[in-house]
Amino acid sequence: MSREGRRVLAWQVGILVVLLGAWEWLTGIKAVARMPGLYWIDPFFISRPSAIAERFVHLMSGEVRLTLGAMALSTIQSTLCGFVVGVSTGFVAGLVLGRNDGLARICGPYIVAFNSLPRIALVPLVTMIFGFGLLAKIVLAWTIVFFIVFFNTFQGARSVDPDLIHSARFLGAGERQIMRTVVIPSALAWTFASLTPSISFALIGVVVGEFLGGESGGGLGYLIIQSLGTLNAADMMVALLTLGVIGIVMALGIRQVEMRLLRWRPEYRSRT
Amino acid sequence: MAIVGPSGCGKSTILNMLGGLVTPSAGRIEIDGRPVTGVPPGVGYVFQKDTVFPWRTVRRNIALGLEYRGVRGAEQERRVAEAIRLAGLEGFEDAFPATLSGGMRQRVALMRTLVVDPEILLMDEPFGALDTHTKLELHGELLRLWDAKRQTVVFITHDLSEAITLADRIVVMTRRPGRVKMIHDVKLPRPRDVIRMRETDEYAAQYGQIWHVLGEEYRGP
Repeated sequence: MSREGRRVLAWQVGILVVLLGAWEWLTGIKAVARMPGLYWIDPFFISRPSAIAERFVHLMSGEVRLTLGAMALSTIQSTLCGFVVGVSTGFVAGLVLGRNDGLARICGPYIVAFNSLPRIALVPLVTMIFGFGLLAKIVLAWTIVFFIVFFNTFQGARSVDPDLIHSARFLGAGERQIMRTVVIPSALAWTFASLTPSISFALIGVVVGEFLGGESGGGLGYLIIQSLGTLNAADMMVALLTLGVIGIVMALGIRQVEMRLLRWRPEYRSRT
Repeated sequence: MAIVGPSGCGKSTILNMLGGLVTPSAGRIEIDGRPVTGVPPGVGYVFQKDTVFPWRTVRRNIALGLEYRGVRGAEQERRVAEAIRLAGLEGFEDAFPATLSGGMRQRVALMRTLVVDPEILLMDEPFGALDTHTKLELHGELLRLWDAKRQTVVFITHDLSEAITLADRIVVMTRRPGRVKMIHDVKLPRPRDVIRMRETDEYAAQYGQIWHVLGEEYRGP
């Protein structure tokens, strides 16, 4: 790691330590000495790091029916499934409509209309159709991811430089070869720009699905709703922090794939 | 053959009609007696704009035409390596275009077109965006490459010295609406030395003759 990198990391760790320390300390100061229950900042609402750590260990252990690991796994699984299905369908639809003006004009209003629906309004309907399990969560993630990837790929497929297509044609390319060697690589740069937001939105779709899904759907969203029922801020924080870690790891993974596939772009080469 | 004329006179349009990118509003275009509808086979096109595929390395850009024609394996490798050697791009085989200079990218574009041996080569101000030095270098290379194969080349330019350097015949076009004003045969011996030929009296005489006609078009009515 470079000197610059080490300095950035040191600052990042430092900020984390200060934040956690302040959190622990501030939620420990009582408003009136020796009076129980009255705090300047009440740990009842935002818990404290020590309590969260305790609950974390407890939830990881086998003493609970549904462990944190199992819940995280369920959330990750549905997110990845929804992401993969959403990206692949969105990509194909974007390419097809992007290269076919007539079809794009016919489908345009439908796509815009559906996309402007708040996805959260679909949750009850999706639950009614697909039940409370994994499938409903995947479908919810898909409804969001599909459109993000679709619109980006669509733009990408439309903005392919016509001179690149012409030069491929002069070199003897047929329509399928043009698709494979010009349109897809050129649109991919646009598609990739949509992947990082897509994974976050997939996670949103899944967690919202889990809010309603109950125990059969499992997942961290379920843990959050359950903690709301028992007014347990510590458990809620465990769920939120775990979600945060999952989000970061997934975004980093995408970044790796992106750097590999788009290594022809100068802005990616300098950072490898 | 080179076509010169003021900008907007329709030089590129003629080339695009030859290449089947534009349908003529009247009349018809034939190549060896076959009418042109769509991109004709056996025709190569080098654009002024950089059309090297940025997501492919130099080697894989040059291989494109062979790939499209189903030329694979050792044969493809051999012909690509030969083209890279001819263009003096050794050592840059696996470089992406973003790391190359404009002149090198245009070399890749030229070799990518030549590697499939087109009978007719259409070039639309291919060196227009390059600096004088690089331009001269590429003139020399183009003449050398052409000498080996002697394809038909239609070369669009607004640079008269470029036209005289390269062409056997120069078509001078009028201002818009563009018409052919003069067809001039360049009587300069080959092989030509792109630097030294410009010092000769013959060159100056040819330049003077054509400039006399072309200059009127720039001067305006």
